[in-house]
This record gives sequence, structure tokens and C-alpha cells, in this order.
Amino acid sequence: MSSDVTVTITVNGRQLTRTAGGHLSLLRWLREIAGVTDPKCGCGEGICGACAVLVDGRPVSSCIVLAAQVDGGEVTTASGLCEPDGSFSPLQEAFHQHHAAQCGFCTPGMLVCATAMLAEDRRLSRPEIREALHGNLCRCTGYGPIVTAIDSVQQGSHR
Amino acid sequence: MYSRRFQYVRAQSLGDACDMLRRHGDGAKVIAGGQSLLPMVNVGLVTPEVVVDISRVPEARGLARDDGFVVIGALNTHRELMTSELLQADQPLIPAAASHIGNDRVRNRGTLGGSLAHSDPAGELPLVMTAISAMYEVTDGSSTREVKAEEFATSFLTTQLEPDEVVVAARVPVLGPGWGWSFCEMSRRKGDFAVVAAAALVRSAGGALVEARLALGGVADHPVRLGAVEAALAGATYDEIGPRVGAIEGIRPLSDTNASGEYRRHLSRVLAVRALEEAYRRSEEVE
Repeated sequence: MSSDVTVTITVNGRQLTRTAGGHLSLLRWLREIAGVTDPKCGCGEGICGACAVLVDGRPVSSCIVLAAQVDGGEVTTASGLCEPDGSFSPLQEAFHQHHAAQCGFCTPGMLVCATAMLAEDRRLSRPEIREALHGNLCRCTGYGPIVTAIDSVQQGSHR
Repeated sequence: MYSRRFQYVRAQSLGDACDMLRRHGDGAKVIAGGQSLLPMVNVGLVTPEVVVDISRVPEARGLARDDGFVVIGALNTHRELMTSELLQADQPLIPAAASHIGNDRVRNRGTLGGSLAHSDPAGELPLVMTAISAMYEVTDGSSTREVKAEEFATSFLTTQLEPDEVVVAARVPVLGPGWGWSFCEMSRRKGDFAVVAAAALVRSAGGALVEARLALGGVADHPVRLGAVEAALAGATYDEIGPRVGAIEGIRPLSDTNASGEYRRHLSRVLAVRALEEAYRRSEEVE
């Protein structure tokens, strides 16, 4: 019996249909089958946040979600956060301005989770931002600039 | 950290899922949110041949009041438990516990039924369900039965569920007037599994504790309800809570990479008293 399943997912606005192993995580489906490589594989256990993507607007760890479970859904990865003309979103611009990416491995997940955080529309203090990022690990330990970047976007939107 | 191949099948109903579990036997695993199963699959601790997806079945949903109880469908996510206005009003211990689970991403996918069936001894939801005397509805597709939360777990990650049964819902009593609640947990890092967690309910009147419910997680192979401590607390003033809790009997804390058994025993008392005192203070606020 074939264990392949056909899955259709709208990734960053593009509808993709692929037939692949039903055991594949959304992360592997995106990277290996659909060629969308901005989500990274860090821990494989849903802890580090490097693989974070939005599924129907909410952040999930794509390494511990099966692609087949997202069939018919909408996925946004870090590259899908860009403006329609391809320019950086205010958050991406802030990460750039404040040097919030060091090696860059955690950055796609940081951007995705921070986008969801900012969508809550509640002004967060720096400690609250840091706490809200507890599920995103930066092995360079560059949390300071990341928090600063997220905070600067809040300030911009509340000015 | 990559899963071995398995067959993915999507159940159309809980009955369909139970049929698939019977057909595929030991090699089959149920998936809902996948937040416990897939980490174990990815690290090779579980190697299913077939994974039965119940996340799209029409049953096991909803969260509604029913004659002094709240019935919570097993497919509610932790986020839904956390943000439910009904639960915040009727049984606030559950949203408080759910807010301690993993991280935002886990809470967006993980489900009540998954947490109960996975039955981690440090899991937040099995613990609060034990403290509030919840009943679980489980089904094999043709017949359903009710199981007491306190009796559901039989050992480490092992429950009374038969191989072809799934959890449908939890039935929890509405928190009555005069009751306060508290959930206290100690973990090494925010979002990590609890080293020890305590869930308490207290009813007080006239400056004394009338009755209490207390359960601990992380101190045995499943959550433990502490009936002897509950009995000893009746009639206690606020200041007497600590002395009356005494040395906690009936727990068997294990040593692991997070903490020694001795430290867990110490935490058990600290967190039990802290939770009971907070629940007592809240009971006076609502009186």
C-alpha cells in the first residue's frame, strides 16, 4: 500500500499541490517537497522555534505538525511576511536596522512568532516581549537586538 | 530527528477512527494536535506503522455548561481552554493550568484529549482534572463509558484506555460559590515540563477553611490526589495551612535529569502550601 498522500496547501499566497509521504512533517514538506526553505529544522521537538510558520494565521512548530493535517490550509513563512511589492515588512526592516540577526538560523521563526505577537494589538513591555519569545531559542544569544527590533515596531505603530 | 515512514489515514468520525485502530492493532497511533506524539516520533521513541488523524472528526468538540458541569470536547486546543470565557467563569483552574503548557505554538495545536491520553506524569491538564474530580468520556466507537480522572492513569504514560478507545470529552464540576483556586508550578525553564506542580481548590467561610481539594503532578508515575491532606485541612485558619499540610505522604518522587527525588519531595510541600494559601485567599475574595 502506498503511504503517499496528496496535499494542497496555500504557501505564502501560492497554492501548491504535491503527492508525498503521509509521514512528512509540514517542515519537511515545505523544505524538501515544495522547495520553501526559510523555515529551519532546529530541534525537531517543537521547542526551539526555528521551524515556526503561521497556519491559518497562528504560529505552529512545523516540525511537529503533519503536512497532511494542514491539507486545505494557508501557511505563511518568514518570506511570506514581505510587503506585496517584495520589500521588507516593518518588522523585517526593524530586524535589519537593529542587527537582530546574527547567524540568522533562528530569524525566520523569530519573525513569524513576533508577527503573531504584534498582531495581538496589546502594547508589551520589553520583559513581556522577552517572555513571549520563550519558545524561540537564539543560540547566538542575541536576544537584546531582537527584543529591541520588536519593541521598535510597537512604538512605530503606537506613535 | 526525522520520522520513519508511516501510513497516514484521516478518520471521518470517532467510530471510523476506532475501527481503524482495531484493524491496525498495536502499530496504530491516534493523532489530534500531534504535540506529544510527533516529538516522540521525531526522536524515535515511538515508531508507528499507521497514524490515525482524528483532528477533523465532527465529534469531541464544543465546550458547554450542562447542569452544574462543564463538558469540554477532547479536541479543544490548549489555547481554546485558556481563552474560554465560560471556563474562566466556571472552572478557572483549567485556563490557568493550560497557560503553563509548552509555548504558544504548542497551545495552538495541542488538544485536551491528547494531553489526557498521553498522560505525562507532569502534565498540567491531567493534574487539574484529578484535583477537580473530572470524569472522562471514552468511546470505542459503539459504546461509551465514563472513567474518573483520578483512576484514568495506571502508570507512566499509560492509561485505562483500551487500544481501540479514544477520549471524547471531560466533564468537570462548575466551581461553586465560596471556592478559590490556585495552580502553582516549578519548572527549570518557562514552557518546560513541570518539575512539580500543585493544583488546589479551597472553600472557606467565617475565617476558616471548610474543605479543600489538592493534587500534585511530577511526584509519581501519574498525578496524585492527596485525600489525607484534604481531610487534615478542614477547619484550618489561613495561618494553620502550612502546619496542617505536614509531611506529604503517598508520593514517590523520582530522580531524573531535572531534579532529585529529594528536591521534588521538598517542592511538593512548598508548592502544596503555596497553592492552598492562594486558593484560600481567592476564596475569601469571592465570598
